[in-house]
Amino acid sequence: MSLLDWKGHRLLALPARLYLGAVFLLACWHKLVDPQAFAIDVATYQILPLSLVNLTALCLPPIELAAGLMLVSGVRSRAGALLAAGMMVVFLAALSLAMAKGLELSCGCFASTGAAEDPISYKTLLRDGAWLVLAIYVVIFDRRPLGLESLLRRPSPA
Amino acid sequence: MPSRQPSVLHILRDAAFAAVASAALGLGLNAVRASPLPLVQREPYALLVPCPDAQGEVAEVAPSDPLLSEPGTLAVDARSKDDFSAWHLLRAQSLPYDFLEPLSKEAVKSVAESGARRVAVYGDGSSPDSGRELAKELASKGIRNVLVVKGGAPALRPVGGTP
Repeated sequence: MSLLDWKGHRLLALPARLYLGAVFLLACWHKLVDPQAFAIDVATYQILPLSLVNLTALCLPPIELAAGLMLVSGVRSRAGALLAAGMMVVFLAALSLAMAKGLELSCGCFASTGAAEDPISYKTLLRDGAWLVLAIYVVIFDRRPLGLESLLRRPSPA
Repeated sequence: MPSRQPSVLHILRDAAFAAVASAALGLGLNAVRASPLPLVQREPYALLVPCPDAQGEVAEVAPSDPLLSEPGTLAVDARSKDDFSAWHLLRAQSLPYDFLEPLSKEAVKSVAESGARRVAVYGDGSSPDSGRELAKELASKGIRNVLVVKGGAPALRPVGGTP
């Protein structure tokens, strides 16, 4: 039996999925409610051209919502984890660029706080890096995820 | 029994579908908002990146303090280049302080490499005093023995300096 086939992965991956899913659901909420504030957060990073700022602010939060729901429910959870991993890579790149530029700003990940209260730092990078590792773990190892999908697919007794 | 595990292609397909569908949902929801966000922003956002207050410890010195004229003291003028050109303390280094921009690494490096035993910063003496803010920022970035001249340039000017 290879490491990939170990049945314990689904048990280990479940709390990882629930935690990661909760993070994404929590993160998307304020962005969905107030896209204008999130657009300003995106613009503050000074990475995207102005023409793409609003589009990003409108499209990213629903993708976070979808990833969170997929992870929590166990429906297409590996695809959800792949989305989460992709977003974490983008967030890490944006944070690194902002820090390299010396910008002192809030990461804008959760409910908007001022840079003075929650400035980006190496701790933010470490936190996002840890979430990326969790997402990659789910993508690679959670081959038979526990959740709604596995419940619905359970074969009926003959 | 055939495997029910999705292939890499299936996972990619599902992820792409979820991303596109949810992004479209986001755009659709925006369209029905009472005040929708324009898809393309025409006017740049007024960005004001707030800088946290520098937390470095600085000591205050009087304008007449003899420490200011000692050879081991580096005087730093936090005012604008124009104000510096009009008058500055003898051997002072100009380092204009910007309340909105963080101090550059080069500026900190120039002070750190000056070889001075202490750094005495003076600003415009107003409230908030650019000299005090610069002194705190220098101290927070690792410069030791940073002093701020009480009252700034207006208090120093009667004491001495060079045009």
